Amino acid sequence: MKRTPSNLDALFDPRTVAVLGASRDPSKIGHLVFRYMLDSEAKLFPVNPSAGEILGHRCYPSLGSIPEDVDMAVLALPASATPQAVRECVDKGVKAIVCLASGFGETGSEGKRLEEEIKKILASALPEMRPRFLGPNTLGVYVPRRRIETIFTSRERNPRPGPGGIAFISQSGATAVCIMEAAAAVGVDFSAFVGIGNKLDVDENELLDYFAADPETSTIIMYLESFKDGRAFLESCRRIVPKKPVIVLKAGRSESGAKAAALHTGSLAGSDRVVDGALMQARVFRAYDEEELVDLARALDHGRPFTGGRVAILTTAGGMGVIAADLLESRDRGVGLKLAPLSERGRAKLRSLLLPFASANNPVDVTANASNDHYAAALEVLESEPDLDAILCVMQFQSPFVDERLMDIVTDWFHRGEKSIVVTSIGGELSQRALKNLTESGVPAYPSIWRGVRAIGALHKRGVWASANSKR
Amino acid sequence: MKAKDLLLSCMPLAEHQVKELVQSYGVPVPRYLVLEDGGLPRRLPFPYPVVVKISDPQILHKSEVGGVRLDIKNRAQLERAVSRMRQDFPGKAVLIEVQEPLGVEAIVGLIYDSAFGPSIMLGMGGILTEVYQDTTFRTVPIDESDAYEMISLLRGVRLFEGFRNIRASKSALVSAMLAVSRLGEELGEHIAQTDLNPVIVYEDRCVAVDAKLLLRKRGSTEQA
Repeated sequence: MKRTPSNLDALFDPRTVAVLGASRDPSKIGHLVFRYMLDSEAKLFPVNPSAGEILGHRCYPSLGSIPEDVDMAVLALPASATPQAVRECVDKGVKAIVCLASGFGETGSEGKRLEEEIKKILASALPEMRPRFLGPNTLGVYVPRRRIETIFTSRERNPRPGPGGIAFISQSGATAVCIMEAAAAVGVDFSAFVGIGNKLDVDENELLDYFAADPETSTIIMYLESFKDGRAFLESCRRIVPKKPVIVLKAGRSESGAKAAALHTGSLAGSDRVVDGALMQARVFRAYDEEELVDLARALDHGRPFTGGRVAILTTAGGMGVIAADLLESRDRGVGLKLAPLSERGRAKLRSLLLPFASANNPVDVTANASNDHYAAALEVLESEPDLDAILCVMQFQSPFVDERLMDIVTDWFHRGEKSIVVTSIGGELSQRALKNLTESGVPAYPSIWRGVRAIGALHKRGVWASANSKR
Repeated sequence: MKAKDLLLSCMPLAEHQVKELVQSYGVPVPRYLVLEDGGLPRRLPFPYPVVVKISDPQILHKSEVGGVRLDIKNRAQLERAVSRMRQDFPGKAVLIEVQEPLGVEAIVGLIYDSAFGPSIMLGMGGILTEVYQDTTFRTVPIDESDAYEMISLLRGVRLFEGFRNIRASKSALVSAMLAVSRLGEELGEHIAQTDLNPVIVYEDRCVAVDAKLLLRKRGSTEQA
């Protein structure tokens, strides 16, 4: 699949980058951004009238003095200096501007005025020459595959994720960077991050369409506090969702609680039920916190959607099987799916293969004395069950006869089997290492039973939505 | 925004105007008669029992002010009820309509949402609507499968599925929802909020027995 050219390409795949406000001072944003961007393939031009040289690179006194075309200009400048810089970008024919500064519309009327001024300057350029403007008040972009990065928080303090399939569009940069850091720590990777900031020009809808067409992106997640154009957003989602899952964390839910309430409909729309309904109508997943946002992304990015709703639990600990069963089946405190009864043949096989005190019914409990082989044998039996869609592998490392090879067994079935598989393991270092390995091999794996069950629920929902959609 | 400000900014319609409007889109309403300032006709064009209501843009919540008389069984009671209304609400239109039997009560509404534009609501209706808050929203237009999905998402869905031998037709409700959706699609930009509550659902039909509508102020970008 080839990327169709877009005028946003200069934001995510620039060949030449100018950093305005590049600095020799390591504590300055203009230094960090320049230093991080050096890792990319892009050709870099630090711009600073008084710096001379930065990290061995000759500084240019102005954007105009750069002898080449500039794809992307990163503005590491104060808000007040921004209009002039944008004017220079227009004159230079820059394709995309990333404006990192705060102090615009989010702070009050003076900031709003600055934004209006910038809009006018951009509008003064011929449409086909007009730079695209990201921000202001944004951490900009991060493209792990190309090491394109304008995030100006310390990499040492906030390690970044590696290259993967999840694109993250966020209205809050700092929040997204923290979420990505936490995700990276457990092995979740990203195709791109983009902070939309004050959405002066580039907004979430356009980026959604961009990542829909991006061959490196397979799942799109968003953190939003407001919709710039809700209708257009839903239209885009409807087009995209059959191909790539979209998951939205829409915060600021209580804001509308103060809405007028002359009639029932208005009063009931209060706690953002319209958002709820509209997202469901467009088959967009809604997450309610940062953990769910990434959890669902991991499940939907790699996991196998299913329609039947018949689930088996394979556990090394009886109690965990019971907890998982409750969460799977409960409508109020769970995902409302069904534990599948196993076939007579399957149960006979399990009885012959497992330890005498193991359970050959669903939940299948191989017991805490089981070996890798027992677990593998049980998984194989479940994989050949005719009336089964998904398997929740509850995996603990208590038995002296299991070790990390269990991971390979499950990963192998995940890729070559026909059932949807999700893994949970609760515990310390060993569990966490196992989960990270699984995650890096693409298996949805979670450190709690509930999070695993929720992932199963999401894969089922996606399956049902997809099949209803194809029937329409 | 306070309810009062909302009323000042959004013009309400009288109940009979709303009913005429939703009926023209295909929402069934009870057979009715409007008395502007004239007297009662010699014969009602529909059978007793009937309901007498005040129908005026200024009186949104009629029962709270004694603007509704139920269970009127004959001519004498009707004459008394109408003359009381005339006394209590001089100069206002009076609505006389067939009193529909009890049934499963739903609410179907429209709202202009600031982010998503005209949106439709379905919920379990009646006087406990806001107590149970059993509702779901969609942007308009909706299609038939959206409408069925909305019903399936209500906690009260069992009332449409034969619970205790109650018979309430999903398809009748769906066709009313689709009618409201068409209204929202065509005129939603002008409507701040609409409540059809209750829409009483029976075995083979449904009927909107009360209807309220607030117009959006012209040029308003505010959410209702």
